[in-house]
Formats: sequence, C-alpha cells, structure tokens
Amino acid sequence: MGCVFCHKGDAAATDVKAAHDGIVKKPSDNLKLCGMCHKPIAENYGKSLHYTSAGQKHGVAGRFSDAEVKTFDEKVFEKSCRTCHASCGDCHVRSPAVGGISVGLIEGHKYVKKNEGKTCAFCHGGRVYPEYTGEYGGSVDVHYQKGMMCLECHKKEEMHGDGQKYLSKNEVKQRPRCENCHKPGGEAKLTARVSHDKHRGKASCQSCHSSGPYRQCYDCHPTGSKAKAEIFIGRNPRTQKEMTTLRLIPTVRDTFAKAGIKMEHFDKLPNYWDSAVHNIKKRTERTRNCDTCHVDKKDFLTRDRLIPNGSKANEGLVYELKPIPISR
Amino acid sequence: MKKMKFVVALCMVLMFLVPAAASARDIAPFESTGWLEKNLKNPKLVIVDVRKPEEYGAGHIPGAVNVFYGSWAIKKGELLNELPADEDLRDVISSVGIEPMSWVVVVGKNAAVPDRWDSTRVAFTLKYAGVDNVAVLDGGYDKWVAEKKPVSKDKVVPKKKAYNGKFNKAIVVNKAYTLGALDKALIVDVRAPEFYKGEKKLGFVAKTGRIKGAVNLPAALLFNPDGTYKDKAGIEAAAKPVVGSDLSREIVVYCDTGKVCTGWWLALADLLGYKNVKVYDGSSMEWMKDAMAPSAP
Repeated sequence: MGCVFCHKGDAAATDVKAAHDGIVKKPSDNLKLCGMCHKPIAENYGKSLHYTSAGQKHGVAGRFSDAEVKTFDEKVFEKSCRTCHASCGDCHVRSPAVGGISVGLIEGHKYVKKNEGKTCAFCHGGRVYPEYTGEYGGSVDVHYQKGMMCLECHKKEEMHGDGQKYLSKNEVKQRPRCENCHKPGGEAKLTARVSHDKHRGKASCQSCHSSGPYRQCYDCHPTGSKAKAEIFIGRNPRTQKEMTTLRLIPTVRDTFAKAGIKMEHFDKLPNYWDSAVHNIKKRTERTRNCDTCHVDKKDFLTRDRLIPNGSKANEGLVYELKPIPISR
Repeated sequence: MKKMKFVVALCMVLMFLVPAAASARDIAPFESTGWLEKNLKNPKLVIVDVRKPEEYGAGHIPGAVNVFYGSWAIKKGELLNELPADEDLRDVISSVGIEPMSWVVVVGKNAAVPDRWDSTRVAFTLKYAGVDNVAVLDGGYDKWVAEKKPVSKDKVVPKKKAYNGKFNKAIVVNKAYTLGALDKALIVDVRAPEFYKGEKKLGFVAKTGRIKGAVNLPAALLFNPDGTYKDKAGIEAAAKPVVGSDLSREIVVYCDTGKVCTGWWLALADLLGYKNVKVYDGSSMEWMKDAMAPSAP
C-alpha cells in the first residue's frame, strides 16, 4: 500500500501544494479505514475504553450536577480528555500528544504490533510503566524482573475491547487478577498460605505486596500538578470492605473552574481511589513483619495525611485497623 | 600396605586441591566478545543480559537470559543502588540457574558511559553472593552487534536451580565501618577529578567534596577511547601510582551511589589481585548528608 491509500493527497502531483491537497493527517482516526482489513478488531475497538475514554468521563461525572455534566462534555471532555484517546495509529505508529507533547514515531512509520515500552508506555508512562520498571525510583516489579511485559497479563481484548461498551475499566471482565496465575492454596510455604487465607477479602494482594512508594499526583490543572512518591493504604472506596493501595486522583475543587464547572457534588466522591499499583514484590516489609500494619500502621491513610480541602468522602477511607501485635 | 598408604596420601592431596581449584578464577573479569563467542556452548556458562526486557526482546546474545539491572540493585530509603535482601538475591540468582561454580558473563549496554556500570555492579553483586567466576562483557552488547556476531530474538526460559553459594559479606561496607577505617584503609574516590576536588556534585548528593583522606582514581581510567577496557598492564599502570603495590592493603572504593566504584573493585580485586578491596555502597550520597562524617576540602 502506498502513502495515498491512507493519507490521500495526490501521488501524481508535481508540486508540494497539489500533492498535499486533501491530505489526511491522522487517517486511523477513521476506524473504517483500518477496518477494511482488520474488521473485527476495528468494530470492537470503536466501543472500547481506549477509544471512547468513557472511564475518564464517568470517573469524574459523579461530582457534577446534570447541567455541569453537559458543560463538561462540551468544554472539557471533547476538547481535552478525548484528544489523546486513541486512534489505532496513536498506539501502533506514533505517540499521541499527551499534554501537548508527542514523542514521535515508534519505529519510523512502521505499524508496530506490540512494543510495550512504547505502544503502551507512550500513554501509561507517567505512573504505571516507570513504577513497573523501577525507574520511578522504587524497586522493579517482580513480573518485569522475570521479563514479563504488559500483554502477558493484559490481553488483547482489554486493549481492543470485546465488543461491549463499558463506562469504566472496573466493569471489564477480562482484567487481570493475581489469582489467575497465583492460585490460592498453591503456596509453597505454610506461612504464605495462612497469611493469604487470613487476609482474603480483607486486604488486596497489593496492599501487602506493593514494594514501596508509587506516584501520587497533586493539584490537577489550575496551578499545575505536582507528583510525589508515597503509599496510602486505606479502605477501598468501591467495596468499602477491604484495605488496598490508594492513589490520589488529583481532581481538586477548582480543577474545572475555568470551564465554569464548580462541581456541585464534589464531596460525593473521594480523592483517593483503589489502584492496582505495578511495583509488586514477593517479599516486602509487610510480608516480612505483620507488625508493619498491625502495630505500626505504616503508610496507612490517616486523617492527618488527607489532602487539605479535599472531598469529605476521603474520611471514609481511613481504615481503623485494630492493633493485633503478631511479631514474627 | 605401601599401595594403601599411597592411595590415602593421594586422597588427602586431592582433598586439599579440589577446594583450591573450586575457588580459583577460570575466566577474566573483563571478557572479550571473541572469547564469549567461542564459549557460547560451554555448559558452565550463564550469560546474564541486564538490559531492559524490551531491549532484550529486540535482540540478544544467543542463550542469554534476561535479568534486568533493577533486580540486582534497589533503592533503600533514599539510597540508590543498594543490595537486595539476601533471600531476594538468592531468588534472583536461582531463577536463572546460576550456581556457585557457574561461569557468568554479564552483558549490558556500553555506548553511553553511565550504562557501563550496570554490568560492573551486577558482576560485583554476584561476587558478593559467592559466584567466583564472573565477568563483564568488554564492550557490552553494542560491541557484539557492531561485530555482527549472532543475535537471537527467542526468549530464553532459564532452568531454575536452588542457589546455595556462600555470601562474601565482607566486600561491602557501610558508613560506620568506613568511618572506623579512615586511619588504616586507603579510601579511593573513583569519581571524576572535578567531583573529587569539590568543584562539582550531582543533585542528589548533599554537598561537594570527598571523604577526608581519600585518594582519586577516576573510573574513566579503566577505558580505552573506544569504550573497551584497557588491558591488564594499562589498568595496572593507572592504579599503581594511586593505590600502591601492597596487594594486602585494605582498600575501600566509593563513588556517588555505589555503582561506578564497582568497576575499580573488579579491576583491583579480580584483575590485579588486591586481596582486601571493599565497596562502600552508601558512597557520597550517604556520607555527605552526615555533618559528622569528615569530608574535604
């Protein structure tokens, strides 16, 4: 296939202007074009979260009144969030402009099937990927240490969709779960088996197996965001039952003030959300010593650690773990 | 009876000889690409590629296993390039089937100078863990590719073997030990002269300067202009005027984070035969934060 098959223009023209007449800069914005050869993928992809960005929209919509939802859709979502999510070429040819910056082509103008350090990290390189590789200043994730890349846990259906429209990634059934590979009861050591049994349903895997601080972003938008490495362990806002690793999602009260959105229901949703952090280790200070949580409550989200002027819902995430000294 | 005595004597001699042979060095600390190519099929050989998995996936030396640098050196508190816990290190070594008697060649990137120390730090860590025969591939993967030697894209799935090597704890020292050794040991700062003299510092080091009494043996002196290691004579010529000829003298090497100094550790301890060389892996990053730790100028 020649350039004009995708980009149009006039290959027979002899001057630049005529050659570029009608040119399409990002041809894969039109999924039908890719669907000419990759029909099932393109059809599913049009409904996927990577394409619709519905997760971003619905994640924050709970803070808005009905009128604000409309304003958000028009003034923020379409003009900001949607711009980097995501045509076929955004993942397979060239990085989308994230925050106005594109890091360019992946491998010349080749369509690259997968090269996770680029095809995934172009967009997920702010938090997840550098945590995974240890380059954010922590320890390398044990799965990366074993040479595992994104697609070994996250399957194609997660990337391209399964034909269903979802409002949030939490609805997607094919999301990876630790227990898919690490079957309960299959532990080599009795202490590990007992620990897992005792904590099942009370603490997520990563709340003990996260190896250290991960990136927290503060103060989204109005004054420019700041990042810090911290761990927050608290109540999972989705289940309210178990403890888990929380990540600060930096929507502050005036994040959308410029668009005229006050966020009338700001306090309905917390600022901290459960996060499957990607800095997992087999042994951590929590797995080595129960007192790290049960006595010291190290890294727990406390009222003192909550962001100032944050959502009132944050208080419900503070986990009052009963002291059970079990030194070993 | 005479025959019996002879057999007993022979057995005793062998009993002494075998451990000696076991601890002897069979490979050089900086092995060439040519040597590695000739030994690719050697059953004792384990090639450890410490580049990122995505770089390894794009092409590696045939048979090489991939264990990314971050598995060998971790951040502890604020300190970079620290040793993992012994049990974690054993897991890493076991996972790729390295045994105490293996010949391990560490392969990393070489084009950019800061990348070269990944290999030396991993080699040092393997020595710490009790593997005697460890080498860094001279010139790294870049030289291997430049020489058009065979490469593979097939991921090698290593055979796990329980690692039971005896750790050489004495080759890593902490701040307290270094403080106590200031009067007796030779403290060797391997940073560039402008860092040693206190004219420059890296952002994460609290202040300029060096450990009081330290001598300067810049890491750059290990290399030829093409980025390969100098030969033994060249390295010896650079080292001797600074560290002297007494092979039994205690030497503590340091840099900014405990990574770069492992290059000179390998050269002094493994190539030139200095018998009492240690790495202070807290290095300037830790020392310069402590107002009570003597520094100069």
